[in-house]
Amino acid sequence: MNGPLIVQSDKTLLLEVDHEQADDCRRAIAPFAELERAPEHIHTYRVTPLGLWNARAAGHDAEQVVDALVQYSRYPVPHALLVDIAETMDRYGRLTLSKHPAHGLVLTTTDRPVLEEVLRSKRIIPLVGARIDQDTVAVHPSERGQIKQVLLKLGWPAEDLAGYVDGEAHPIELSEDGWALRPYQKQAVENFWHGGSGVVVLPCGAGKTLVGAGSMAQAKATTLILVTNTVSARQWKHELVKRTSLTEDEIGEYSGTRKEIRPVTIATYQVLTTKRKGIYPHLELFDSRDWGLIVYDEVHLLPAPVFKFTADLQARRRLGLTATLVREDGRESDVFSLIGPKRFDAPWKEIEAQGYIAPADCVEVRVNLTDSERLSYATAETEEKYRFCATTDTKRKVTEALVRRFEGQQILVIGQYIDQLDELGEHLGAPVIKGETSNLQREKLFDAFREGEINVLVVSKVANFSIDLPEATVAIQVSGTFGSRQEEAQRLGRVLRPKADGHQAHFYSVVARDTIDQDFAAHRQRFLAEQGYAYRIVDADELLAES
Amino acid sequence: MTPEERSRKEAAGKGVAAPRSLAESLRARDDASLSALLRARPDLITPVPTDLTQLATRAATRASVVRALERLDRFALQTAEALAVAADPASYDELLGLMAGDGGAEADPVVAESLPRALAVLREQALAWGPDDRLRLVRTARELLAPSPQHPSPTGLGPSAAEAASGMSPGRIQEILTATGLPTTHDAVSAVASLTALFTDRARMAALLATAPAESLEVLSRLVWGPPYGQVTADPAPRLRWLLDRGLLLPTAPGTVVLPREVALHLRSGRAHRHTEPLPPALATAATHRPQMVDATAAGQAYTTLATVEELLKDWDEGGPSVLRAGGLSVRDLKRTAVALDVPEPQAAFWVELAYAAGLLASDGEVDERYAATPAYDEWRELPAAERWSRLATAWLAATRTPGLVGGRDAKDRVLSALGPGLDRSAAPEVRHRVLTLLAGLPEGASPTPDSVLARLRWERPLRGAQPAADDLRGRLAEWTLSEAELLGLTGRGALSAHGRALLGETPEHAPAAEPAGPGDKLPVHHRHHPPALREPLTAAERAAAASRAARLLAPLLPEPLDHVLLQADLTAVAPGPLERPLADMLGVLADVESKGGATVYRFTPASVRRALDAGRSATDLHAFLAAHSRTPVPQPLTYLIDDVARRHGHLRVGAASAYVRCDDDTVLNEILADKRSASLRLRRLAPTVLAAGADPATLLEGLRALGFAPAAESAEGDVLITRAHAHRTGPRTAPEPVPEGPPVPDATLLTAALRAIRAGDLASTTPRKPGPAPASDGDLPRTTSAETLATVQAAVLTGSALWIGYVNAEGTASQRVIAPLRVEGGFVTAYDHTADEVRTYPLHRVTGVAELADDQL
Repeated sequence: MNGPLIVQSDKTLLLEVDHEQADDCRRAIAPFAELERAPEHIHTYRVTPLGLWNARAAGHDAEQVVDALVQYSRYPVPHALLVDIAETMDRYGRLTLSKHPAHGLVLTTTDRPVLEEVLRSKRIIPLVGARIDQDTVAVHPSERGQIKQVLLKLGWPAEDLAGYVDGEAHPIELSEDGWALRPYQKQAVENFWHGGSGVVVLPCGAGKTLVGAGSMAQAKATTLILVTNTVSARQWKHELVKRTSLTEDEIGEYSGTRKEIRPVTIATYQVLTTKRKGIYPHLELFDSRDWGLIVYDEVHLLPAPVFKFTADLQARRRLGLTATLVREDGRESDVFSLIGPKRFDAPWKEIEAQGYIAPADCVEVRVNLTDSERLSYATAETEEKYRFCATTDTKRKVTEALVRRFEGQQILVIGQYIDQLDELGEHLGAPVIKGETSNLQREKLFDAFREGEINVLVVSKVANFSIDLPEATVAIQVSGTFGSRQEEAQRLGRVLRPKADGHQAHFYSVVARDTIDQDFAAHRQRFLAEQGYAYRIVDADELLAES
Repeated sequence: MTPEERSRKEAAGKGVAAPRSLAESLRARDDASLSALLRARPDLITPVPTDLTQLATRAATRASVVRALERLDRFALQTAEALAVAADPASYDELLGLMAGDGGAEADPVVAESLPRALAVLREQALAWGPDDRLRLVRTARELLAPSPQHPSPTGLGPSAAEAASGMSPGRIQEILTATGLPTTHDAVSAVASLTALFTDRARMAALLATAPAESLEVLSRLVWGPPYGQVTADPAPRLRWLLDRGLLLPTAPGTVVLPREVALHLRSGRAHRHTEPLPPALATAATHRPQMVDATAAGQAYTTLATVEELLKDWDEGGPSVLRAGGLSVRDLKRTAVALDVPEPQAAFWVELAYAAGLLASDGEVDERYAATPAYDEWRELPAAERWSRLATAWLAATRTPGLVGGRDAKDRVLSALGPGLDRSAAPEVRHRVLTLLAGLPEGASPTPDSVLARLRWERPLRGAQPAADDLRGRLAEWTLSEAELLGLTGRGALSAHGRALLGETPEHAPAAEPAGPGDKLPVHHRHHPPALREPLTAAERAAAASRAARLLAPLLPEPLDHVLLQADLTAVAPGPLERPLADMLGVLADVESKGGATVYRFTPASVRRALDAGRSATDLHAFLAAHSRTPVPQPLTYLIDDVARRHGHLRVGAASAYVRCDDDTVLNEILADKRSASLRLRRLAPTVLAAGADPATLLEGLRALGFAPAAESAEGDVLITRAHAHRTGPRTAPEPVPEGPPVPDATLLTAALRAIRAGDLASTTPRKPGPAPASDGDLPRTTSAETLATVQAAVLTGSALWIGYVNAEGTASQRVIAPLRVEGGFVTAYDHTADEVRTYPLHRVTGVAELADDQL
């Protein structure tokens, strides 16, 4: 017994990365355990009921899971834990959702008491129809997602055998001229297609758009793509035209400004969730065509109303794409139950090791507040405190010093507060992109930055997602949305696109010492730290002294 | 010589006359056989009987027989039950017939083979005696086991024809004889005998039943395996009538009939029991694991046991939870402990009780009673891991406390709490030992199904009568034993581990690894003696030896403590195994534990680092400590974190002072400090112009004045306090109520009423009375008008004098009484009746009249 795996009593699995069997072990436990943290030496996986059921859905049985644990475990695995795993997995598949030739969608059971138990639940009653026989009950077809979600919460996950509609066929091919899908992208597409629906988690800059394109080429059907904003929609369109057989005319944009419905339609979450007179007028988009595939970009941002619509779309294939499936609202499990289980997940450092994303040097710069600032900070109202310490003057000095240090490289300065950004823009002589900047102006500035005409760009959180700035090598974060982990990850993602010269990327987070800015920063960094990005901490004084 | 051989010898007689009583049979037994009896029934020698007659008497007492019967295994009990329905005395062959059916040994060879053992057990325990041709069950046992309407026998047999027919009229019995085609006899006794002879004659019975209508046979088949009683109407249906006429059903009470025992036995072809269970049910093997795997799993769990107990007591180190008034741990504290240990509550109760049983924790006995670790805990901690485990496991084996009961309710519906009273079950150690011995009987690595273990235990100690399953304490104890043994690491994956085996005192030489499972294992079972008394209990020395052998076996399986951790940049440290104690202690202070199990994950936070600094470590110490114990370079964020916390640590200083002296002129303060007389004020310089004092402000003022200064007191706002005579006040109080010496002075109303009453009484006593009739002279009752009667009685109440009354009771009998009225109300007078010498109540309307007594008449 000298395996690489240690099973903890809280059902986490610790994997020693440097162990010779680590790779085999990782492959053995990946189907059922969720990678939670991936720092340098020991990775933490977690065994959850959801993970075990997904493993069952993917065709693994309890024995395989138990074998994997026992085989690789360094210490004896507690019997109780094995029994628990077997019992949990046994709960899957007692209920099945299937198509009945006469009654449509039905819920059947192999274990009658289970059906009796769930039918007694108040949340199930409105979702089911007539009892067909002792083991079968009809389910309203529109409640397929709902009932799956509720059953999951009740601990009796249903196996969904009702299948998918193919949707309206539309020829889509990847045009792989001079490029090809990377191995992990192929793997992701394959896993997704095999599973039917689900979420693919890839680091920022690892080419999630191509996974989307690859899946479309598999589906060869009309596709609805949901993205976060218009800029992102344009980039999707641009990328699809470039990478697939689709032409400009086949791709429609459904946003605040344009309302095109074409075989491939890219819509923004914002337009879908616009509410007029208590109704969502743009929801009919979901029914406007017989979509064969629905792609949710940045699925971690999926707004609550879209969750609800998604529940009604269970018969269509759904692909969720994200870099960071952490939601500060804790609704990750809703993403899994409505869009589908995680089908592919690659640790950031692994993709980095393969050279597909640039290595990054993450530095937290601690600035000291001046004495007078400290006094004002101490007396500031609670809700003003973060703003106060996040926008301290000292940060400007540090930012200027950093910009000077990386003179000539493409530098992004990212922040939360507009007046702080305006001031920085003024001092650095750089343009500022913020909410009020028009889309036209934004694209112009991005192009200029891309072309190297501008070296420094100051952006607010409007640029958090899906803007493609290939040559940015340095990002300086001066303030953020409190403790948002995924924002931090997305911002780091701005500099992770591989550099033409194999350059290292730099990510600086400027933080005011001994304030809540520091606490928020610690929380923000947690996701990346768990992905193995080690932040160095330097004092602003040292940094200023150096330059 | 086995008891079987002994009993055979006893049966053979060998020239000795067959014993005529239990005492005689005991007398004929040798010492070994008697000591076997006394070992099986230890209640017989408390106190030691004077002679064998007394021993025999005591062995036949109801309490002792019940106790002995309850300890029989199922087959021995079935044998006893069969003996109870057999003739008294019965021969061995009759008994065999009852047990194996009409065919005897050929019909059921297994029973035939097992019967001598069962009979030997009954004989050894002095429940049965007599030679094979005259077997007798002890009378008390017979009474307990023989069927009666109140206590139906598990055999399902009814009373014999003779018993059932005892209440019938002789004429009716003769009618039955005629109906069955038997010749009539002269008397009822011989008639019943002739009927019984028919019933027990298989051939004639078969002929009789062949003539029976099919419906009647169907009735019989319903009653044959019991209960043997049935209801009939006053006018029975023909199918019943046919049976009643022939005595195949006999009436017991109006409307009730019974199937006579002989008829039932005929229909059962002689079997007393529907199912005999001559062999103990074999343990079903659920799975067989590799012994190494079992040992490793058990060792892992053994290690968890140690970690959990240590964690529990560490959690309680600075004062554990309070002891409830009734003793024990409150439900809330148990919950909290369960959360702290991250286990379900029943498991938490188990760990707490385990530590208690091992003497590692106890109540501290203070006024505010709390649980705390005992000094034995500190000694225990110093032992090697394997020995620590064997201490716990030995304590568990012998403990009568049963944590499984925690959370349940006792007979008085009080909740049973962990560590509280009412958890002792004397059967627990025996059941534990028995269950583990059963596991030890399986081949190495085999784990039995819990149901088969329970079935085996039930066979060894069947439940008497129809006890509800919930009361099956032994069954529950066995279930708890299985789960607790797994928790403790005695078993791994349900199979007994090597160290568990050693702990039971099993040495490799006599580990019966070869005992095959399944029905093929007849030989070992047969030749083994009565199963529960399988082996003599271990002596203290043997137990100690077993424990140390177990510890030796376990030691190499326990993980070696590590001296290093892996530090990671996300501010965690992972100890990939158990840590050496000093290292674990230090890390426990410096970082928070995030997850436990085979490894321990620690997280460094500013608060945890501060805790280490508070504990007296410097930042340099911490850096050195991490560098020394980390396999990997210390990550920069961690170094930074420690420095950052250390930078601020102690920046603010807090201390206690009860007064201060401030003065703008620091030379004055220098002067005060320099003065030796100020030493008692415990002054300390905080700043050039401020002194802190240990003395309170008043003493400080006095002291400084004595030094010749003129200090002024200062308020919290810094104003000079004007000294005035201090007026001390209480909170709001009410003035005390006066406590008068006598009763309060009556008010006018009361006075008037009292006066009126006094006057009325006075009037009554002084008004000249009509001369009443001379009392007693002629026996006439006194006669007065009702108004007079009332007034006189009321007056007598006031004066307390006695009266002579005439009284007519409810039956109209007149009497004269002398009474001292106590109370008149609602038309009744309550009075002390001198005639009857007690207090009685008389309705006034029955009092014919009253007269005062002459003083000399009392």
